[in-house]
Amino acid sequence: MPPAKKKTVRKKKAVARKKTVGRKRGAAKKKRARRGFPWLKWFVGLVLLAMLVVGGYSLYLSQVVRIKFEGKRWAVPARVYARPLELYTGANLTPARLQAELQALGYRKVKQVKGVAQWSQSGSRFVFHTREFLFWDGVEPAHKVDLRISGNTVSALKDGVSGKPLDVLRLEPPEIGSIYPSHKEDRVLVRRDEIPDHLVAALLAAEDRAYFHHHGINIYSIARALVANVKAGRTVQGGSTLTQQLVKNFFLTPERSLWRKANEALMAIILDARYDKDEILEAYANEVFLGQDGDRAIHGFGLAAYYYFNRPLQELNLSETALLVGLLKGASYYNPRAHPQRALKRRNLVLQLMADQGFIDEELARTAMRQPLGIGEKGRLSSARHPAFIDLVRRQLQRDYQEEDLTSEGLRIFTTLDPWAQQLLDKQIASGLASLEKRRKLPAGSLQAAMVLVSPQGGEIRALSGGREAGFAGFNRALDAVRPIGSLIKPVIYLLALSRPDEYSLVTLLEDEPVRLEDAKGRIWAPKNYDRKAHGLVPLHTALAKSYNLATVHLGLSLGIENVVSLLRKMGVRRPLRPLPSLLLGAVSLSPLEVAQFYQVLASGGFRSPLRAIREIVDSQGRPLQRYPLEITQVAEPGPVYLLNRNLVEVTRVGTGRGIRNYLPESLEVAGKTGTTDELRDSWFAGFSGDWLAVAWVGRDDNKPAGLTGSSGALVLWGRVMKALKPQPLGLLPPEDIVYIWVDPQTGYLSAEHCEGAIAMPFIRGYEPRLRSDCLGEERPPGSFLEHWFD
Amino acid sequence: MPSSGRYQPPEIIAYREPVTPSHARPAPGRAVRALMARAAQQEQAGELVAAAGSLERALRIEPKNPELWNRLAHVRYKQKQYSLAASLAAKSNSFAGQDPALRADNDALIGRARY
Repeated sequence: MPPAKKKTVRKKKAVARKKTVGRKRGAAKKKRARRGFPWLKWFVGLVLLAMLVVGGYSLYLSQVVRIKFEGKRWAVPARVYARPLELYTGANLTPARLQAELQALGYRKVKQVKGVAQWSQSGSRFVFHTREFLFWDGVEPAHKVDLRISGNTVSALKDGVSGKPLDVLRLEPPEIGSIYPSHKEDRVLVRRDEIPDHLVAALLAAEDRAYFHHHGINIYSIARALVANVKAGRTVQGGSTLTQQLVKNFFLTPERSLWRKANEALMAIILDARYDKDEILEAYANEVFLGQDGDRAIHGFGLAAYYYFNRPLQELNLSETALLVGLLKGASYYNPRAHPQRALKRRNLVLQLMADQGFIDEELARTAMRQPLGIGEKGRLSSARHPAFIDLVRRQLQRDYQEEDLTSEGLRIFTTLDPWAQQLLDKQIASGLASLEKRRKLPAGSLQAAMVLVSPQGGEIRALSGGREAGFAGFNRALDAVRPIGSLIKPVIYLLALSRPDEYSLVTLLEDEPVRLEDAKGRIWAPKNYDRKAHGLVPLHTALAKSYNLATVHLGLSLGIENVVSLLRKMGVRRPLRPLPSLLLGAVSLSPLEVAQFYQVLASGGFRSPLRAIREIVDSQGRPLQRYPLEITQVAEPGPVYLLNRNLVEVTRVGTGRGIRNYLPESLEVAGKTGTTDELRDSWFAGFSGDWLAVAWVGRDDNKPAGLTGSSGALVLWGRVMKALKPQPLGLLPPEDIVYIWVDPQTGYLSAEHCEGAIAMPFIRGYEPRLRSDCLGEERPPGSFLEHWFD
Repeated sequence: MPSSGRYQPPEIIAYREPVTPSHARPAPGRAVRALMARAAQQEQAGELVAAAGSLERALRIEPKNPELWNRLAHVRYKQKQYSLAASLAAKSNSFAGQDPALRADNDALIGRARY
């Protein structure tokens, strides 16, 4: 736009009238006017008038510039972090997992660790130098660490410099995403002192060599561009300074017009006059557009460094920095992931310009040009975004924060996500569903799934799968697929029974007989067992292990449906529940996350913790804003919960959940329960080990029958995921009031170790069985006269 | 034992859990000891929020350590979060096994918290 540029030069004079240059020229014009050119008076008058108008307009623009530049310049999205990996002697850790963690943090593998964010490995020994990181409770300083892994645990953890053992160390948490506003601009702010010198040099060389000398615009480069453009007959070169580019991005619309060009130049001059070069440079470095990631726009060098190299800006070397600078010309045209050849050419041009202008020597430039692009792979731990989990975080935040604060205040959000577990989960869901479809001859892609992984004692949500395409933000089934839970409800009924030890124990006989109930409208409800049989009198523990419906309905009816509902509430179910008999067989619709909430009470021995995805939130300065601490409420006595959990272990040994043994060895004790709904629409499995609570759902989005029971569907996913997680055994500790007693399994009568078929069962002290089996019958200890009454 | 004295069958034995894993009640590891020491310092300095934070961090490492639950109960009690303190102490009891001193301390705390 050559004419526009000419005009801007005139206007510049007007604005710069405060400066001496402007004043001198004005005076010269007046002198000439007095020497007998009367029409010049008019001309000068007009010029003065124009200057007045332009001056006034400049004052206005100056105000516009001031408000924007000194106010809050950008909406800085909240950044979301996974949990930090805790390292200590004895921690469960495999070399592969540590490698993944270090790579996710953008640490570079080297032969010998010489600086921050580097790591080396020889066999099972790792040496790495961590970055300093500001946590909510203080700074974790940078450390050189010497770590050894043997047998999948950390066997030694030492300071890499002094060789002294380290107690415990937090790695910095990997970033898993950001909560950016609707205009989709994402950025990580950098301060001027965080902008490396070679980035400044590259900017000057490639974009604006006279930056530190001009006054916002550069007449020579405009002229040069003009000549080049006229010669070529089209726009081949721009004469914009960094200041003008900033103004264009900052204040103006992208339209190309004379008026806009004029404004741009005027504002550049104002900006230059009012503010420090360094300040403008900092704003420039944070403002510019450097790439597009789906619907997210990458702005500023701070974020671009993470986006392309997964490292902070200060850690980028010369060639990497030159690549970023090269993107200024056209972030999509030179996108190094899509067009590596173009990007390489462009990068090398920037390096050549730097050498030509003496910022670096030829030798250095040539070395840098020989380097590969070095673009970080997308899809590793941290850069693989976790839309389902972020969605959960967002919903949890919306209870306490305004949307605007989340997308603009630069908050930092520390979550409970374990990226390693999440990655395993995503992988197992995808492959598990595919293999289920194949095995059952179902159409490929017809099944969907959701799964939640929680820490049992603290209620922290460690991973979450909202469906089979993990990278795809869509229907979040873990939160929004609200489905009948079927037999998953049964443990609640049995817990209620076992909480009345004077009436029920694990060996109490229940009636597994047909049920026929009529509601107020005369409709008949006659549920059946899965095998369509009635089993007569069955011990309570067998009824749960085999998931007998009839026995459960009889039990639930005698306990009172209202009481079942109220226990469900205490265990954390918030949804409205109708106290109908069908509730006893799971005619209650819940999401997998809600199921995880009430199973957490069982997994933690009767203590409810609200499930959490967030630990802490700090503001942009690192000051703690909010914590979501560990909260627990005792909602059931440990004794009955222990009895129930033993029973749920039985489910996975000999009951409906024994298929787990295809995935976990017999010696590894876990507890769980299957759930199946009418016509096999929903397949559920919920269960826990010593360190993981997991709830899995499998079904179809259209709610048509999926053809899977709890044990043929969800259990398979649960087993695959658990196997991959290498869980700790359940390790139930009998509470103080639990005693083990030998009983006859058929009758529940007292027995002894030497009696045939006797088993040791746990009871609540004081409520042991009193009736004696035949085997024990003959030896009556003296004084036990009461028992004669029962014989 | 049943206190009624109605029967004292010698063949009825109160068993320990058949498969009690060895790690159920471990001695606190080095990491947890260090975090407990840090929490104690923070508690002394009146930094109760930080002390609770350190204890929670330790609990992520050893979630079945009854001493940690007990310490956290005390910190919450100091912060006047009485019902939370009582639940935490009860939780500590559920892992305390045969540790009469710890049990007594938890019970006393529960008593005070519910008072």
